[in-house]
Amino acid sequence: MGTTLDSNKVTAKVRVKNDLGLHTRPATVIVKLLRNVKCEVTFTHKRETINAKSILSILMLAAKKNSHINIVAQGEGAQEAIDELVKAFDNKFGE
Amino acid sequence: MEQEGESQELHLRGVAVSSGIGIGRVFFFSFIEGAIPQFIIAPKDIQSEIRRYRKALARCRADITLIQSRMQKEGADEGITILDSHLQILEDPLITTGIEEQIEETRINAEAVFYGQIKEYEECFNRMPDEFFRERFKDIQDISRRILGHLAQSLQISLADIPENSMVFANDIGPSEVAEANRNSIGGMVTETGGETSHAAIVAKAKGIPYVSHVDFQKMEGQRGAIAVIDGCQGLVILNPSQKTLAEYTAKRNELDLAYKQLKANSGLIAETIDGCKITLSANVDMVHELEELHECGGAGVGLFRSEYLYLVKEQFPSEEEQFESYKSLVENLHGMPAVIRTFDIGDDKHNPRDDKEGHKAPFLGKRAIRFLLDERELFKTQLRAILRASHYGNISVMFPMVSGLQELLDAKALFREAEKDLHGEGIPFSPNVRIGCMIELPSAALVCDVLAKECDFFSLGTNDLLQYTLAVDRTSQENTGLYQHSHPSVIRLIRMVVQESSRVGIPVTVCGEMAADPRMVALLLGLGVQGLSVGIRHIPVIKNAIRSCSIVSATNLADKVLQLESAEEIEQLVSSVYQKSMKDDFLSHLRRRQFHH
Repeated sequence: MGTTLDSNKVTAKVRVKNDLGLHTRPATVIVKLLRNVKCEVTFTHKRETINAKSILSILMLAAKKNSHINIVAQGEGAQEAIDELVKAFDNKFGE
Repeated sequence: MEQEGESQELHLRGVAVSSGIGIGRVFFFSFIEGAIPQFIIAPKDIQSEIRRYRKALARCRADITLIQSRMQKEGADEGITILDSHLQILEDPLITTGIEEQIEETRINAEAVFYGQIKEYEECFNRMPDEFFRERFKDIQDISRRILGHLAQSLQISLADIPENSMVFANDIGPSEVAEANRNSIGGMVTETGGETSHAAIVAKAKGIPYVSHVDFQKMEGQRGAIAVIDGCQGLVILNPSQKTLAEYTAKRNELDLAYKQLKANSGLIAETIDGCKITLSANVDMVHELEELHECGGAGVGLFRSEYLYLVKEQFPSEEEQFESYKSLVENLHGMPAVIRTFDIGDDKHNPRDDKEGHKAPFLGKRAIRFLLDERELFKTQLRAILRASHYGNISVMFPMVSGLQELLDAKALFREAEKDLHGEGIPFSPNVRIGCMIELPSAALVCDVLAKECDFFSLGTNDLLQYTLAVDRTSQENTGLYQHSHPSVIRLIRMVVQESSRVGIPVTVCGEMAADPRMVALLLGLGVQGLSVGIRHIPVIKNAIRSCSIVSATNLADKVLQLESAEEIEQLVSSVYQKSMKDDFLSHLRRRQFHH
């Protein structure tokens, strides 16, 4: 689903499938997944854009089930990061 | 009395301990329940503050990992997942670099920055319409408590390095802490405990630091307030003062400063009464570095050097060499003026000097002062040797604290002679004319002072202890403050007795207690026949002015009248009205207005 805009900027649109939304457990999975990723990753939900490596910021998005999130990854390994994230959103973060 | 209601101005009542007005930023010296300490970090200490914060985070990580491994053994997988999110919070850039950057930018201590940030997040979560998400804040709260706990453990602050003109709030402050503090950094003090004559209070008065004790911090309801006004005359603390209050208090403070400066400008004048009776007005001193101010204030030497501060600051007994250097520098800085060194006035609980001095566990009726010294002969002799060696460099007298009767004085003198003999044998120079004095601070000593007078060269009346032992009032206790009245007829009679007996033998009596620093009591003391007053350096200009505005003839009349009175209240009223009349300038009385206890 990822779309390449230029050499190192990748974006994707995902939907939150978890019943409880993007709560603590999914947020933990996301930041753990991005822990060793070098590129910058942001989530945009409604009008808010946050650093996806910050668990507090993800929680403060308060994204409920079925809400849409725009992911932007920029920098080294952006494509891989997006792929991993999309997969994680898809399988409901293992819940 | 209280004018509440103005915006968020918060008035707290306490006991007026040390007069004066302080206006400045609030500084929490110790952890106060429900409040987070907040203070400014010096630029040079920013990096170490950040390291302290990182260490607290690292300790939290270690805690959580440990709990996780324990849970693993118990098979509590759900708990492990929750703690996993806590670990992620600890690594969140908002918590790591975010807080570090804020510490660097604001130059405020880690816990205050951290706490402020978490409060913001809390508000953010509270605004969420979805209850489920609102509840997620609990995890953040949990981990932040842990972080704050670790920060609290690493927080070691000293009054010596707080920012200038801080209004210091603390549960309690030890005398050594106040003693080592820079006068410019403490603009005022507020404590929950303490008392008017606790040692911390004496030091605060000596340094001219406005101080209000017995303030109930619970009433602050978590409010910290950036700015506080401390009114040490009225016993009032105002948090978040309005512009109007600030203006009023600034004017009042300037007025007091001006009055004091005018008095200080007269420091070159002699301490003598209108009818030419010269009084020895000297200073009570804890630290050698205070002497500069002694000269500015026009004191005639040191009437009481509280040598135990050498110990209290170091928290161990100074060696003979260290003591010698201190005493030598004391007399050298006095340029020929006399210094009276009181031997260590401490108890036997060496490891907790603060408890000793603050009176909570102080052995007031136990092994203290001369009793302790006579039991620790080596330690006592070391001090006597150091004092004797320093006597070669200036005018030194030695004085023994808490003597209860003749035998203690004789034993102490015997040890003193022994020290003299040893030094003589070792060929170390000392003055053969060191005078020996005896503190009169126990009623028993006052009652047998005729006997003691034959064995010493001078008396020093320690009225604080004399009062507390005579009236059986613990001077640091909160419940008894109303009973601690230095105008009590019993104490006045004891002073009268001591002066009469000593004049028969021809030895002088100096008063070195707080009573001497109360200008209203000056005429009475002189009238009773006291020849010397020793007070905190800051009080010298005011007391000198009080001496210079009374005559011995009228003072003697006043003493005669007072000796006829039956209650402390009557005596207090009489000396106050006489003092008011003698003061032409009425803001002087303002300057020294104290809270009366009823």
